[in-house]
Amino acid sequence: MLLKESQHKLVKLPAWRRRTLLVLLLLSFMLLLGRGFYLQTLHKEYLIKKGEAFSRRKVVLMPHRGKIYDRNFKPLAISLPVESLWMNPTDVRMSVPQLKQVATLLEMRPKELQQKLQQKKKEFVFIKRRVAPDVAKQVMAMKIPGVFSQKEYKRFYPAADVAAHVVGFTGVDDTGVEGIELFRNGVLSGTTGKRDFVRDRKGHVVEDLVAVKLPHDGQDLVLSIDRTVQYIVHRELLKAVDKHQAKAAAAVVLDAKTGEVLAMVNIPTYNPNNPVNIAGKTRNSAIVNIFEPGSTMKPVTAAAAMEFGNYTPETKIQTAPGYLRIGTATIHDAHPNQVLTVSQVIQKSSNVGSAKMALDLDREQLWNTYLQLGFGAQTKIGFPGEAAGKVRNYKTWRPIEQATMSYGHGISVTLLQLARAYTVFANEGELLPVTLNKLSEPPVGRQVFSAKVANAVKGMLELVVQPGGTALKAQVTGYRVAGKTGTAHKLGPQGYEHDKYVGSFVGMVPASNPRLIMAVMIDEPNNGEYYGGTIAAPVFSAVMNDVLRMLVIPQDGNAMPTVNPAEMPEVKEAM
Amino acid sequence: MLGPLMMTRERYNSPSYDISLIWVVLSLLAFGMVMVYSASIAYADASKMFGHNSTYFLMRQALYIVVGLVAATIVFQVPMAWWQKMSPYLFIGGIVLLILVLIPGIGKVVNGSRRWISLLVMNLQPSELMKLFIAMYASDYAVRKATNMHSFTKGFLPMLGVMVFVGVLLLREPDFGAFAVTASIAFSIMWLGGVHIKIFLGMLAALPLAVVGLVVMEPYRLERMKGFLNPFDDPFDTGYQLSHALIAFGRGEFWGVGLGGSVEKLLYLPEAHTDFLLAVVAEELGFVGVLVVVLLFAWLVIRAFSIAKEAVANERYYGALLAQGIGVWMGVQGFINMGVNMGLLPTKGLTLPLLSYGGSGILANCIALSVLLRIDFENRRLQKGLNS
Repeated sequence: MLLKESQHKLVKLPAWRRRTLLVLLLLSFMLLLGRGFYLQTLHKEYLIKKGEAFSRRKVVLMPHRGKIYDRNFKPLAISLPVESLWMNPTDVRMSVPQLKQVATLLEMRPKELQQKLQQKKKEFVFIKRRVAPDVAKQVMAMKIPGVFSQKEYKRFYPAADVAAHVVGFTGVDDTGVEGIELFRNGVLSGTTGKRDFVRDRKGHVVEDLVAVKLPHDGQDLVLSIDRTVQYIVHRELLKAVDKHQAKAAAAVVLDAKTGEVLAMVNIPTYNPNNPVNIAGKTRNSAIVNIFEPGSTMKPVTAAAAMEFGNYTPETKIQTAPGYLRIGTATIHDAHPNQVLTVSQVIQKSSNVGSAKMALDLDREQLWNTYLQLGFGAQTKIGFPGEAAGKVRNYKTWRPIEQATMSYGHGISVTLLQLARAYTVFANEGELLPVTLNKLSEPPVGRQVFSAKVANAVKGMLELVVQPGGTALKAQVTGYRVAGKTGTAHKLGPQGYEHDKYVGSFVGMVPASNPRLIMAVMIDEPNNGEYYGGTIAAPVFSAVMNDVLRMLVIPQDGNAMPTVNPAEMPEVKEAM
Repeated sequence: MLGPLMMTRERYNSPSYDISLIWVVLSLLAFGMVMVYSASIAYADASKMFGHNSTYFLMRQALYIVVGLVAATIVFQVPMAWWQKMSPYLFIGGIVLLILVLIPGIGKVVNGSRRWISLLVMNLQPSELMKLFIAMYASDYAVRKATNMHSFTKGFLPMLGVMVFVGVLLLREPDFGAFAVTASIAFSIMWLGGVHIKIFLGMLAALPLAVVGLVVMEPYRLERMKGFLNPFDDPFDTGYQLSHALIAFGRGEFWGVGLGGSVEKLLYLPEAHTDFLLAVVAEELGFVGVLVVVLLFAWLVIRAFSIAKEAVANERYYGALLAQGIGVWMGVQGFINMGVNMGLLPTKGLTLPLLSYGGSGILANCIALSVLLRIDFENRRLQKGLNS
């Protein structure tokens, strides 16, 4: 025994002290159980919610947006995979040289990157969005903790400004803003998927809380557009606008057999890959703008006169003395003529001749003809903001209006409507619907005129590009061309503006069996020349010269252009 | 007298060891090992420092337990009389180690605290051994100074002086948790040894002053306080660790998400395998798991105190005080650790005895409980009329 007996007896270990201490310890354990019970039953919802803020992630799985192709499956719009780099600033461990290297790779200022790193309260900060995959790969190869890469898509338009108005473009959230991208957005975008999962602190998926909903990719679209034709039209239209200092221009090329739009071009244009400073440039004016077509309406008048009146191509009409009084108004021809046949009225574009034919017709009949040809109503081609044009009800027509409408004044159309109307002359009186989608078989048309009348008008249109006509410059070597020029004063707020014009030309080729129809419109030329035959017809000629050969369309005409004999002055059309 | 009663056959044939204590300790060790593994898989797997080896901590913890059990077996052979005789020397040895650990080059710094001495095979944490040595020293002191225990100057003051010295050494590391535990052990033994009740009442009054003093000395403690009161006010910085511990408790609900199913251990909750092991238990095994752990600790404390009661009956005062000191150690350290996990107490670096990962802790706990088992063993022998 270590303790001495005397000492031993003095040791007192009071039992109450032991009990007090034990009770104290056990009470503290009770406290723990109470706290644990509170946390794990009563307070759990709050804590679970707090936990989800850290570890639960709901992400939207982006579908792959459908591609847009031209009729030959050349891409017009594709979504390229790009990488968006992001970080969790609290987890990032980056040395100063590394920071500089990353900034250099991403073409950022190191200071900017440093600022983003300071956002410690956030768990998700984009370093840079939409980085080229190879650049992102180089950054990821540096293996910096807390830096991540996520796949995104960037819309790319290979045809750039050439097809901008038709294709349109998408916004930051990958939805269509203009053009086909907007109109067919539902089909192209597909449906997004969803994922709701628990992740660990490094971002790895631990478990899915809800079954993953996979995204459904958007569908591809095949347009009727031919990228090469589109390019040729764009090139020639740009040249014309430049040459004539025009404010704007538009052109539509249709497949004469199917009504498919092969090209649709507007100037000015913009780059859909970088749509900035685009105000006023994005309108596809061939579809959304209306204008008074002028003399390009005369063939419609002649056809109606032959179909519903007592006219034949050889019917003689007195156009002397070059003007016609109707009530208090007078209409003029540019050059006074004598007696003209119906064919010559078209060839020389006589307003008087056209008006006389129109006045011989029942006005309801004429109005109905316009409607039958699709004027005054949308073509339903499938494009956002399509205009309907204006054709007033026949009951409100006065005789002077009936007369001016016959040569395209007092009536407003879109360039697309005008081009479509000419399908009746290319297809023996049958009007075709127009479309921007590639068709697998020709559509069913609607008979507006008899084949005999339609072919007769087509013959007259061939005279227009012959000596004595208004559009010699529309000729294409090796092919027969049929077409009609138009020149009109623009309609301003105070009526017609005497120094602002729209020069146009609508033509088809080869005339023996038309394959292509093209309508060209040059808006406000400012270089002295403004007749459709002078400014619009050459565009037709230049485009067709290339396109006909590219499409290997058989020749049906002379190998040499027919020139105007020296003694014959160039014919200017009336306005 | 009880003599004839004690010599009954049943009493003689009863086991010489406290079998249930052995089983409870082994259960806690085994359960701790499973939970350490579960809590550390993702952490070890993700870290280059641990060779991306998911069993890194499991293997080491298993080794520590083996070392601890071997040490416990050896320690069990040592009679209490020897421990009592050696108490002052062991205590001096402990103080030497606490001084050594503060010397740069010998003491190893981890997370800003100089607490470890590298011994090639494993790191020794002197403060863990000090908890046992202070219990032995205080018990011996109370028995030696039994006549003067009621006196402030002769009984209490010398012990207070020693404790202040040890406290200064521990706070130099700093290791506030070990300081709290050693102080609790020493003052509990003083209390049990008969220090005058007025002294304790005075100390109770001085406690708030001491807390203020500590905060003034190390302002970071104030930050910890604030973080502990409202962890979700700043869940990315000062409240980060506790936020995630509490989230783990909430996620566990009553029955737990299942063993291995913790999300918070997936790199969100730092120190999940050491100081915050209970949070992982709470998440994976729910309130039921927490309840079992708390009850086992309560059982340990009750058992230590009843062994002490037996020792008092046998007039083995040193053993009685030491048994209670060990009980207070397990109880207070367990309470502080669990309280920290639940946001009842401010965060301090303190492991859960027998469960948390750590070589020194496991070794010290095994030795201490082996001593407790020895006290009980000697009680039983005395009751059988044998020599201790």
